[in-house]
Amino acid sequence: MSGTRVGTRELPRAAPTTTRAQRLRPRRNPWRRPVFLEGFTWLYVLWSLAPIAIAVLFSFNNGKSQSVWQGFSMRWYTTDPLNSVLHDPTLHAAVAQTIRLAVLTTVIAIPLGVAFAIGIDRWRGRPAKVANFVMVFSFVIPELIFAVALFFVFNTLFVTVHLGTTAEVLGLVTWNVSWPAIIVRARLVTIGRQYEEAAADLGASRLQAVRRVLLPMLMPAIFASGVLVFSGVIDDFVLVDLLSSTAPTQPMSVIIYSNTHGGNSGPALNALATLMLLVSFVAAGTGFLAYRWMTRGERNSQDEALSTFAGV
Amino acid sequence: MWGRADRSAPVDRDPLRHRAFWAGLSAPGIAWLAVFVLVPFYAVLAVAGGQINEVLGTPVPAWNPLSWGGAAYQGVFGDIVGAGAFLGPVIVRTLVYVAVASTLALLIGYPVAYYVSRFAGKRRGLLLALLLAPFWVSYMMRMLAWIDLLQSDGYVNRVLQGLHIIGSPVNWLGGESATVVLGLVYGYLPYLILVLFAGLDRIDPSLIEAGRDLGLNRARTFVRITLPLSRQSIVTGLLITVLPMIGDYYTNTMLSGTSGTSMIGNVIDGQLQASSLQTQGAVLSLLLLGVLLLPMLYYVIVTNRASVVAS
Amino acid sequence: MVFHPREGRSEEGGWSPAISRRDLLKGAAGVGAAMGLSSVLAACGAGASGKPTASLPSDLARPNHPVKWPIYSADKPIASGLSPERNATLKLYNWTAYINKKVVKNFEKKYNCTVQITTFNTMDEALAKLQTGQLDFDVFIPTVDVLGPLIESKQLRPLNHSYIPNITQAWKEFQNPFYDQGWRYTVPYTIYTTGIAWRKDKVAGEPSDMSNPWAFPWQGKYKGRVAILDDYRESMSLGLLKNGITNLNTTDVSQLTAAKKSLLKLAALTDVHIDNNDWRNVPSGQIWIHHAWSGDMAAAEYYMPKGTPVSVVGYWFPSDGKGPVANDTMAVLAGGQNPVLAHLFLNYFLDLHNALENIGWNGYMQPLNKVTPALLIKEQILPKALSSTVVRESDFNTGLQELELPASARAVWQQDWLEVSQGG
Repeated sequence: MSGTRVGTRELPRAAPTTTRAQRLRPRRNPWRRPVFLEGFTWLYVLWSLAPIAIAVLFSFNNGKSQSVWQGFSMRWYTTDPLNSVLHDPTLHAAVAQTIRLAVLTTVIAIPLGVAFAIGIDRWRGRPAKVANFVMVFSFVIPELIFAVALFFVFNTLFVTVHLGTTAEVLGLVTWNVSWPAIIVRARLVTIGRQYEEAAADLGASRLQAVRRVLLPMLMPAIFASGVLVFSGVIDDFVLVDLLSSTAPTQPMSVIIYSNTHGGNSGPALNALATLMLLVSFVAAGTGFLAYRWMTRGERNSQDEALSTFAGV
Repeated sequence: MWGRADRSAPVDRDPLRHRAFWAGLSAPGIAWLAVFVLVPFYAVLAVAGGQINEVLGTPVPAWNPLSWGGAAYQGVFGDIVGAGAFLGPVIVRTLVYVAVASTLALLIGYPVAYYVSRFAGKRRGLLLALLLAPFWVSYMMRMLAWIDLLQSDGYVNRVLQGLHIIGSPVNWLGGESATVVLGLVYGYLPYLILVLFAGLDRIDPSLIEAGRDLGLNRARTFVRITLPLSRQSIVTGLLITVLPMIGDYYTNTMLSGTSGTSMIGNVIDGQLQASSLQTQGAVLSLLLLGVLLLPMLYYVIVTNRASVVAS
Repeated sequence: MVFHPREGRSEEGGWSPAISRRDLLKGAAGVGAAMGLSSVLAACGAGASGKPTASLPSDLARPNHPVKWPIYSADKPIASGLSPERNATLKLYNWTAYINKKVVKNFEKKYNCTVQITTFNTMDEALAKLQTGQLDFDVFIPTVDVLGPLIESKQLRPLNHSYIPNITQAWKEFQNPFYDQGWRYTVPYTIYTTGIAWRKDKVAGEPSDMSNPWAFPWQGKYKGRVAILDDYRESMSLGLLKNGITNLNTTDVSQLTAAKKSLLKLAALTDVHIDNNDWRNVPSGQIWIHHAWSGDMAAAEYYMPKGTPVSVVGYWFPSDGKGPVANDTMAVLAGGQNPVLAHLFLNYFLDLHNALENIGWNGYMQPLNKVTPALLIKEQILPKALSSTVVRESDFNTGLQELELPASARAVWQQDWLEVSQGG
């Protein structure tokens, strides 16, 4: 593949040997290791991840406390007959619902967003510009405002769509469709039109050109945006808080919120969160490896895969 | 820039059919946006201009703009400037929290992004993965993690007591502004870092080398070259953290739960939950949207320009 | 301006709604009266032309003004003698931690069904979702003050008494309560008082030491350790009581404003927490003075950390009984798919054996004849130290009840509460 991505570029891995600057100012080596920055970065990493590790640890606590260690047990996962994730229907339904929402949303949002991006990018009329504007706009709107709008529209106008899974999926698709739309469009811009034109010269129809030429080239971007949508749904709270109804339609984030605010509520929630963590790490890991496989042969594909996954 | 130059391209020989094809391809997406973005916002207008059912206490939206009333607007207006105004301190608090949290996020995030993008060397992949890891942990779980740590008998108090920094346990979850700001920084920092990283990583290293070649030391290279070149990503990064922070209500509820730290999002959430105040909730969301319109437009224009430049 | 007939008729009831100009200006509620009313009438099919008729068969229930709710033609009780739905999932909409899951499991076994529990944290939150009219819950646990709107919007299904023989086990007054004469829509679930819980090991003195015990939470030295309930009726009532007002259904705006100001002062003084987790936060020691429900405190023992005796928890309710006393109800929702099972569920929790097991975990007493304080203490369901949480039949004669408000007054209560809960 020849196109360079908008996202990242390769950096020199090794420092140049001697420079004029060194000769001019021999006392200070500009390529010395930035010890302070390095320490700071590792401190940040510790700060950002240690609390999560501790929360995971407490999911194995053999007691009701989330802050005092009382020995290891699987009590909150399986053995507690009432309150473990296995035995509390609300908790294991939350895991199932989170995954269900993530899968459904991804499956709908990706084709929708990809077709939108291709169409908008190649159409280039005024309506396309307006549509693109609305899409990017919906990307930056604070989620609360957007969720309020959906809450009202489902309650007053689209009343056949009952609050619950359907409303949640419709809302989540709208909220997340910008990922494929933006990422695929960024990729499209770098690809240019020459490939389709070549295909057309060879007698391919537009549809064939899109299917046989464009889509394969867009595959990594499509895939990456799929992973982003998936993780975005798992992370989501505000929309599902307002649009969920019965217990089985409440994903993990809603369960954690409604059981936690105002105090701690026992390690079963930690166990629930840990399970979700596992699910999303597996999804991320598989996605990452698959992405690297798809982009094998491209230089620097590891960094690129990572930053594409970050949506930047 | 785009559009005009393509006219001579071979696939455009039949411009009408050409357009129809691409328009058709984007049609489902456009229809979706119309139904689930534009219509919902019209519904908010209708609820805001509508009435409250006198018996049930539920909102009765007015779909016809001609029958929009101003009662809910008056109510919210009275909350902001009237004799019984109480939103003033909430608005100020929201602004202060967001300003402090985003500044802290920038002060922490920039050095980290700078280091990883320029100096991480062979650890770059690992560090990038570690920076990304929080993305894969649900926001709620990350808040839950801090609730565990900040309990009276939690590790934060125990460590601070062990170091003799504090005498008796601090009640971190008892309505401390510092805790809420910490939660906001912790929650939104990963997003900021990644935007900063992408921006810093995009800077052509030869520019920096050139600076060095001209005899600038590291600090001056940074101030003269790197910082100006990353200004754009600082602004967009701040925007994508500030905008959701302003609509945040859950961080505050999880980590404080007192009215003394409530933000504008909490007020809207509270209005939605008291059915007789739902019309006012609609008005307040509209007002918030209006205030944020300019920064949002700025973001849209900047990202659009970036993609045009890239092409 | 058209008033709701219920407000117009109130003079007969012997209490005054005292609608002030502020009620009407505040929010959309007053202004919306005309339109809201006509749409309700249209929905009820009561007045063909939307003309307000005096025949709207509802009123605000008060002990001296009992209400018999109508049975609407569009919302009839189920037939007698039906067998319970098979392989069904009975959907219960309940407060967080407000039913013993073990008893629910027993019910599942007995009737070969699944019970799905969805929880809410505040009655307002539950109503906001229920009023969307989109949920298919079978059983709901409404407070007495929200029955009116629920019944009038036909969200509750009238009960067929033949499925609920256990009603005879309930206190006599709950077999014909003033808020639902002939128990057409509800059966009683729990009874409780609302008082003040405190940690004797952390707080000096106790409420009864003070000349105004309701002012106990107003102590700046316990900043960050004081909490009030996240319930606009309960907490606004605390403000009223602190100011010596005992009409907890007041529509007097100046009294409400004063109550609001007192609560705002409490917030400024103590950084007051607002939550309904008194059952968890007082035992854990997170909160030292909590405006609390008796039932939550009765269950305190279960949540005490190891090594801390339950005797460190105190619960105060006025000894003359002049404090908030209430009962929650169980009702069958019209939108549910399993009305027969729903009736059986109501019946199940009126049975002494099941009720005792439920109380043992839940803490909240249930108004059954045989559930006496002596029995609860003997069965070690209630720790002796917390015998102040007991609710007696006489408490309902002396106590203060929070009952349905006229809609315009409700809007003022809610607006004032919004200011307290979010604007401190």
